[in-house]
Amino acid sequence: MNLVRAELERLFARRFVQLMVVLLALAFAVTAATTLAGSHKPSAAELSSARAQATEARQSMETHFQQCLARRNGTLPPSDSELYFPTDCSEIDPIRQDRLPIAADFLPGVFSFAQQAEPLLYFLIAFLVLFGFLVGASYIGADLNSGGVVNLLLWRPRRMTVLGAKLGTLLGTVLALAVAASLVYLATFWVIGQTAGLAGRLSGDFWRSLGAVHGRGMVLVLLASALGFAIATLGRHTSAALGAVAAYAVVWELGGRLVLEIVDAPRPDQLMLSSYIGAWLTGEARFYDSQICRGDTAGGGYCEGFYSLTWAPSLLVLLLLTGGLTAAAFAVFRRRDLI
Amino acid sequence: MSAVIEIEGLRKTFHSLRNGRRVAVDGFDLLVETGQIHGFLGPNGSGKTTTLRALLGLVRADSGRMAVLGEPSPQLLPRVAGRVGAIVESPQFFGNFTGHRTLRLLARAGGVPTSRVDEVLELVGLHDRGDERVKAYSLGMKQRLAVASALLKDPQLLILDEPANGLDPAGIREMRDLMRSLAAAGVTVLVSSHILAEIQLICDHVTIISRGRRVAAGRVDEVLAGHDRHEFLVRVAEPERAAELLRAAELTATVDGGTLVVGGATDATVISKLLGEQGLWVGELTPLRPDLESVFLELTGAGQPWVPRQVDDSALPPGGQGDAVIDLERGVDA
Ligand SMILES: Nc1ncnc2c1ncn2[C@@H]1O[C@H](COP(=O)(O)OP(=O)(O)O)[C@@H](O)[C@H]1O
Ligand SMILES: [Mg+2]
Repeated sequence: MNLVRAELERLFARRFVQLMVVLLALAFAVTAATTLAGSHKPSAAELSSARAQATEARQSMETHFQQCLARRNGTLPPSDSELYFPTDCSEIDPIRQDRLPIAADFLPGVFSFAQQAEPLLYFLIAFLVLFGFLVGASYIGADLNSGGVVNLLLWRPRRMTVLGAKLGTLLGTVLALAVAASLVYLATFWVIGQTAGLAGRLSGDFWRSLGAVHGRGMVLVLLASALGFAIATLGRHTSAALGAVAAYAVVWELGGRLVLEIVDAPRPDQLMLSSYIGAWLTGEARFYDSQICRGDTAGGGYCEGFYSLTWAPSLLVLLLLTGGLTAAAFAVFRRRDLI
Repeated sequence: MSAVIEIEGLRKTFHSLRNGRRVAVDGFDLLVETGQIHGFLGPNGSGKTTTLRALLGLVRADSGRMAVLGEPSPQLLPRVAGRVGAIVESPQFFGNFTGHRTLRLLARAGGVPTSRVDEVLELVGLHDRGDERVKAYSLGMKQRLAVASALLKDPQLLILDEPANGLDPAGIREMRDLMRSLAAAGVTVLVSSHILAEIQLICDHVTIISRGRRVAAGRVDEVLAGHDRHEFLVRVAEPERAAELLRAAELTATVDGGTLVVGGATDATVISKLLGEQGLWVGELTPLRPDLESVFLELTGAGQPWVPRQVDDSALPPGGQGDAVIDLERGVDA
């Protein structure tokens, strides 16, 4: 416990951590301020006009669907025959759409919390993932380099305890910061929506889905922090973590993808870590692969050519990677010569 | 007397891609007993720091047996770590912290009351500068802070690796006084150094390391006595005639200007009697006592001015007898 308290003080005394916290606050302030400046509370006239427009849009979708059905039944009046209709009318069935036009779509310059909360949250999560990774890497990297770890080990010659306390302190701190930051962030935009924009329809479903994204985002932030910590420990240096990620991105995500495409390998996205990150965060990610439909066309059946990655196997991949590297970091640190 | 530090047959090899294999410590032995101020002497690169790192569990030894305060190290080091204060090669501290805060964090991590921080800052003479950032400290001040960190635990055993590094003469003297007062209070001190005068002034025991091996160990005066060739410096009016007389009495005598260096005499009176009987009156008769420096240079072979001395080879003793460990304190080591 004392060790953790000391580590906590050490962590917050790091210039880099302070800088990142300031950056976080700054990014937050800028987004909130621009949103606030670009939004106004819609007047009653604007609102009713937007509602009318939305209703009209929904009606025209319904009409289009009905016309499609009518053409199939051969009852379409000749005047409408130039209109385009899909072969399968259910594609444009309003009931089967993901979302229907709502009033907020017709209110330019009005911030709608219900519509914007999720993309805003994704942005914050991306920042926090970066934050966690960099702080995790620099925290242990700088300490390994400055001899701080050696000093500490002269005091407490238990390597696993010392490294464990560092990782625990890091994860706890990052999680607390991330949760606090995201809650304040969402609350601020909710207030902006209430006072200078549109709250929108904040149903139970909305909150549930936002909460799910939030929870998955927090897990991702923790994984990124542990990953940065583990790679920096393995490489004895903060830059090891940065280098490893840059090298991975360039060599595999870009280069590897290119090569896989050239050799026409099946489902290249399945081999990319970024796909799993996306799938975990959004719940499911869909990828196109031309080979899925090969051989299928003979049957004459319709083939979309998409396959999807779901969150569960994605989480497993991310956990295995981070867990494996963290275990390796502890194993190496246990035996390594500390100079 | 019980052993506070025991090292037997310690070996450590460093492997690196660039430099290949390097044997830093090669079957080294060390015995430090309660209450000693034990000097650990050796030229640069002879393996002092590596030995201390291995002892304190910072590097893994290839082989050898080590114990600190009776507990095998590094396996059971955590049991005694609270009673051992150590600095290994000028420790680095986080520059943005003040000296006070640096020590407070260590105290907290080690479960020492933070009130102890002011006491040790006072002890090392940093009391007034404790609230400055470490990066603003001079080398000597950092060294003092390091010593302060080692003292924080109120240790029974204090291990200091080249504590005089970067200290000015006054600082070195203060460090010496500090070590003496600690020893008087019952603390066992192991202090490594390549500075001979330092060791000779404060240590009662010494172990000399060269090329990763022990070449001498024991009480400082016994180590010196072991290298005493029982020579005397003699000043007489007729050195040539005196030399002949002495040689006739089966003593060795070399004329060096107006003086003679006489060897083989058990006692100074033998010389003065021999010469006096022949009417040669002795003007000066001084025993030539070796100092630690000459012993050190002899043992580590660093004393040949015509050979440019290389850091790592410096330790090859002349005459090819360097690999034999010279045990000077037979009671302990034989
Ligand atoms: N981390 C390391 N990697 C490779 N060689 C090392 C390392 N540390 C020390 N050495 C080598 O081991 C020998 C002993 O070094 P050291 O114990 O630091 O000597 P001392 O403290 O007596 O000056 C030297 O030759 C040094 O170059
Ligand atoms: Mg050294």
